[in-house]
Amino acid sequence: MPNPIDKTTLEHLARLARIELQPGEEEKFIQDLRKILDYFAELQELNTAEVSPGEDGLKNAFREDDSRRGTREGRGAKSFPESQRGFLKVPPVFSAENGE
Amino acid sequence: MDLSKLTISEFQKGLRAKEWSATEAAQTYLGAIETGDLDIKAYLRTLPESALQTAATVDQAIAAGEILEPLAGVPLALKDNILVEGEIATAGSKILENYRAAYDAHVVEKLKAARAVILGKTNLDEFAMGTSTENSAYQITRNPRDLERVPGGSSGGSAAAVAADMALGALGSDTGGSIRQPASFCGIVGLKPTYGSVSRSGLIAMASSLDQIGSLAKNVSDARLIFEAIRGYDPADASSSQQSDEPLAPFDVAEAKNLVVGWPEEYFVQGLNPQVGAAIEEARRVLEKAGVKVKSVALPHTRYALAAYYIIVPAEVSANLARFDGIRYERRTRNAERETLKDVYFRTRGEGFGPEPKRRIILGTFVLSSGYYDAYYAKAQAVRNLIRQDFNAAFRAVDVIMAPVAPNPPFKIGEKINDPLALYLEDVFTLPVNMAGLPGLALRTPVQEPLPIGFQLIGRHFREADILNLGQLYENQTAA
Repeated sequence: MPNPIDKTTLEHLARLARIELQPGEEEKFIQDLRKILDYFAELQELNTAEVSPGEDGLKNAFREDDSRRGTREGRGAKSFPESQRGFLKVPPVFSAENGE
Repeated sequence: MDLSKLTISEFQKGLRAKEWSATEAAQTYLGAIETGDLDIKAYLRTLPESALQTAATVDQAIAAGEILEPLAGVPLALKDNILVEGEIATAGSKILENYRAAYDAHVVEKLKAARAVILGKTNLDEFAMGTSTENSAYQITRNPRDLERVPGGSSGGSAAAVAADMALGALGSDTGGSIRQPASFCGIVGLKPTYGSVSRSGLIAMASSLDQIGSLAKNVSDARLIFEAIRGYDPADASSSQQSDEPLAPFDVAEAKNLVVGWPEEYFVQGLNPQVGAAIEEARRVLEKAGVKVKSVALPHTRYALAAYYIIVPAEVSANLARFDGIRYERRTRNAERETLKDVYFRTRGEGFGPEPKRRIILGTFVLSSGYYDAYYAKAQAVRNLIRQDFNAAFRAVDVIMAPVAPNPPFKIGEKINDPLALYLEDVFTLPVNMAGLPGLALRTPVQEPLPIGFQLIGRHFREADILNLGQLYENQTAA
């Protein structure tokens, strides 16, 4: 498989991951990721057609679908940087200019 | 108090004999940190107030003639990715620099109930991503055995604190070797328990299918005491197992002689530093001299484990670290005018994450993306099953497997920091254990000079007692 990491792919992935790359990072990451993906190539020599990709021998841990109170009773709200009159405050979702 | 000779059981004897009080002990350790940590930088911050408060309650309990828990008054350190209610928890990242935990991790609840003294929070590679503790956004921790070298990672702060007598024991987390490798590099003991035997609730997640909290200590018996205090089923962690509530098989060194030890040829190959190989051969001779039978086993898919691990981990990282968005975990440094929510996400994550988390998030986004999922992620999961099958087959012939921890002795600070793949390779012998969810115990080989070299004992699922017993047998042989 040809190495798919280039400037366009990296920028696309960073956008998907909601990361603003800092100056100098782009070039270094392209280099690093290309090297890491080349290393992954050795997996392709292994035939896994008959191997299940699911987790062998493990079972899901489900609980009853009943109603219950939040375990932390809203304590997580304390870690919000801004709140006002009991409401959690976040920046606007849409910008005034582009109506995005 | 001579901290260098102290173990948890010695500490408890002294406490009961009133040779020292819990308060004196806590003060002594806090003093040792104040001076010793100037060079080593194992701690990100200490918690003197709560530590002394807990110590005082232990002293009152002693005065009242109460029965003490095995860890009562014991001064411990916690890796800074484990939550203590009301205290800062950074996971070594700038993105969490002002985050205060809203609740106690399950292991912390247990330690508090056992009245252990929590001295402070230790340094780590950012979000536990690394093998040298150089990836911390705050400071570089140095190896107490040689300040020019790394202490290993990612629990490097915890390992260094114990090795430098700035804590009697510590908690770390191990996703691919992060307890065992720093224990080995600092010349102490480290236990990575079976996946599911210690709750991950309140551990800041890196790769949820692999992360496990465990103990770092000066000897096997201490590692066991800490493990016994923190293990157990927790409904808040769906992957924790009911089996972990069953009592641990008792310490039985005589019985350990009957355990058959496997020697996986695939681990003693090119890439293993000859010094490390020779040191482990010596450890093997110690066990054989004690009457333990060692025989070859095959783990044929070992060479594929590293690539599969470094696909699965970034995939899980990209999902787990999505929650750090500048909105929910206290970090909104500046709020430019007309900045939208999306701008905040991009800016916070761009500025807040260091290079290694970014590298892994982007890599994880890639291996999960449409068109590449089957070639990378699905393939890696299949390989994970093959690794697990290898171990299952080996454990039909042997009870315990003996292997190297790190392929090289502790390396110099800065030596590998610009080469992520070189750092990934440091995990090559430890990560298969996480891929299979098995317990692993890192111990000192007889070679500790000029630099410490460790080896590991790998056990069957939920059979920590086997590796601890065998480890104790080994330690008894080498102590003489």
